[in-house]
Amino acid sequence: MPLNVVVGIKWVPNNQAVRFDEKTGTLIREGVTSIVNPHDLDAVELALRLKDRYGGRVTAISMSPPSATKGLEHVLGMGVDEAVLISDRAFAGADTLATGYVISRALGKLGDFDLALFGQETIDSSTAHIPAQVAGWLGLPYLYYVTDVEAVDEERRSATVRRLLEDRVDLYELSLPAVLGVAMNSNVPRPVRLSQKLRVRTENPIKTWTNDALKLDTRCTGLRGSPTIVAKSTWTPEVPRKRQILDGTPEEAVKKLVEILAKEGVI
Amino acid sequence: MSLAQKRKSKRVDCNSLCPEWGCRQPGEHDGIWVVGEMEGDGISEPSLQMLTPARTVSQKLGTFVEGVLLGADEGALRRAASEMIKRGADRATIVVGDELADHIPAVRASAIASLAEERRPDVILLAATMRGRETAPYVATALRAGITADCTQFDVDEDSGDLFMIRPPFAAILLAYIKTPSRRPQIATARPNVFPMPPRDESRDGPVELRDAAAYVKAEPRMRLIRSDVLRRDEVPLEKAEYVVAGGKGVGTREGFAALEELAKSLGGVVAGSRRAVDLGFVPHEKQVGQTGKSVRPKLYIAVGISGAAQHVIGIREAGIVVAVNSDGNAPIFKSADYGIVADWHDVLPALIREISARRTSPGEGT
Repeated sequence: MPLNVVVGIKWVPNNQAVRFDEKTGTLIREGVTSIVNPHDLDAVELALRLKDRYGGRVTAISMSPPSATKGLEHVLGMGVDEAVLISDRAFAGADTLATGYVISRALGKLGDFDLALFGQETIDSSTAHIPAQVAGWLGLPYLYYVTDVEAVDEERRSATVRRLLEDRVDLYELSLPAVLGVAMNSNVPRPVRLSQKLRVRTENPIKTWTNDALKLDTRCTGLRGSPTIVAKSTWTPEVPRKRQILDGTPEEAVKKLVEILAKEGVI
Repeated sequence: MSLAQKRKSKRVDCNSLCPEWGCRQPGEHDGIWVVGEMEGDGISEPSLQMLTPARTVSQKLGTFVEGVLLGADEGALRRAASEMIKRGADRATIVVGDELADHIPAVRASAIASLAEERRPDVILLAATMRGRETAPYVATALRAGITADCTQFDVDEDSGDLFMIRPPFAAILLAYIKTPSRRPQIATARPNVFPMPPRDESRDGPVELRDAAAYVKAEPRMRLIRSDVLRRDEVPLEKAEYVVAGGKGVGTREGFAALEELAKSLGGVVAGSRRAVDLGFVPHEKQVGQTGKSVRPKLYIAVGISGAAQHVIGIREAGIVVAVNSDGNAPIFKSADYGIVADWHDVLPALIREISARRTSPGEGT
């Protein structure tokens, strides 16, 4: 059964030295190079494998500033068929509830899909909220930490998926459509192919949807649609540590260390 | 006006809010919930740890702490509820029904949300175990409420009675104070081991209410658990280890980790790694310590060839003694360590293994 798979992509700052806007408490992204959230590429890879196995289409979707076009070109280069960039000032500064809202409404506009895949979490905020919040807004079954889709049953319109928890492996059957969070490092992303990238140039398969297309109440999007606000930021207080350097040769230092550890009762 | 009065008088103009949220007045909410997760027949340790911040915040806010447990086995839930009360909850509610026998995220989340819709807690805290991370955001969406992940501290805004949910965003050096001024409940998670276990007080007692799951499970399951297999692990999980030997990029090779394994073995502990060590394939992701990995609270943490980025050391805040071995005397890890040895780890670990093994085989000798 051919599958219609949508993959969520986040365009994230790649620089650890990111700055904050003290006034709004949000990240300042200008001047910081960005990349596709690496964990999303595992989801892209799983989507492409499903297309290889069952046929169908893979659509990438990203709620990001316009510069994310580059990231969408990257996943199109991996073999994704088409991409939608959701971008509007009215969506800026969104927390995860408002982000999940806009993405879920964009998925609704996209039409019928069988699976919506997301990376397990992003490297910039690592909340892991979005898959469950999109499922919540759409009222769909969902599962996290998925490593593979093992089977698709056309008659039952369901997928059997495997997922990995701290101490167990689970096998679930989910009715389609469903939302999956794909486990980190579970699907090694394929490289970008030049021929695919050239196709991007000629066919231009990236659509941009602003709020003119989605027509959402702006009380539900961006900062206004976000119940959480950053009230203030401070430096992380340091944990007091002894900071004692044990000198001498390595042998001598080890002897001192073991004496201390024994005295402190830890060995 | 007391904080409790400030909280209870808090009102918002619902016309300014997203119409899809529905109107709930913040002032109508009271109490701090800790949603407990069952692990087999008992309550999981990370859930009990959440009672620690719940207690502190409840005292500041002048309110109560309630344990909320869901499942199919009433007896086990009652025992878990009693454990939560002995560890600091004032009362508990158990939601019981076959619908909650297997872990179906949307089913569990919808039951928590509809119970919250009825009872209106001011705060809901959940442990960010993998299942907790999966469940909590759906609860927030079902309630059209805010949620803050992976908090490392909680505090109270004295001006408004809002909860400060404090987390390190992006670069672990900064702490963001997050609040949800116009919406309740205030939902937050914290990773296992970020908060200590609350002490157990045998004398504590409180009411336990029983609720039928059928009245609260709103989501159609539309999925089923086919099979769940426990992974056999031959060692203690990292989160519970008393001794952790962690390696970073400075270890150099995957083979180099054999020496760390040997040291961990001599201590009866486990090996872990920094983000860099995971990226380089030296250790698997589930062994990663730090902001995007795990927080650990061993008696002894030995960092080998780890530079000590803020994102790493945030994962060892609750560690007892921290020892750092690094050939670079300027590495920031020494600022986060109790004892440091500036040397190539190749020259340090064999001696350390020898000394520790000698003590372990003949206890008391040399002390």
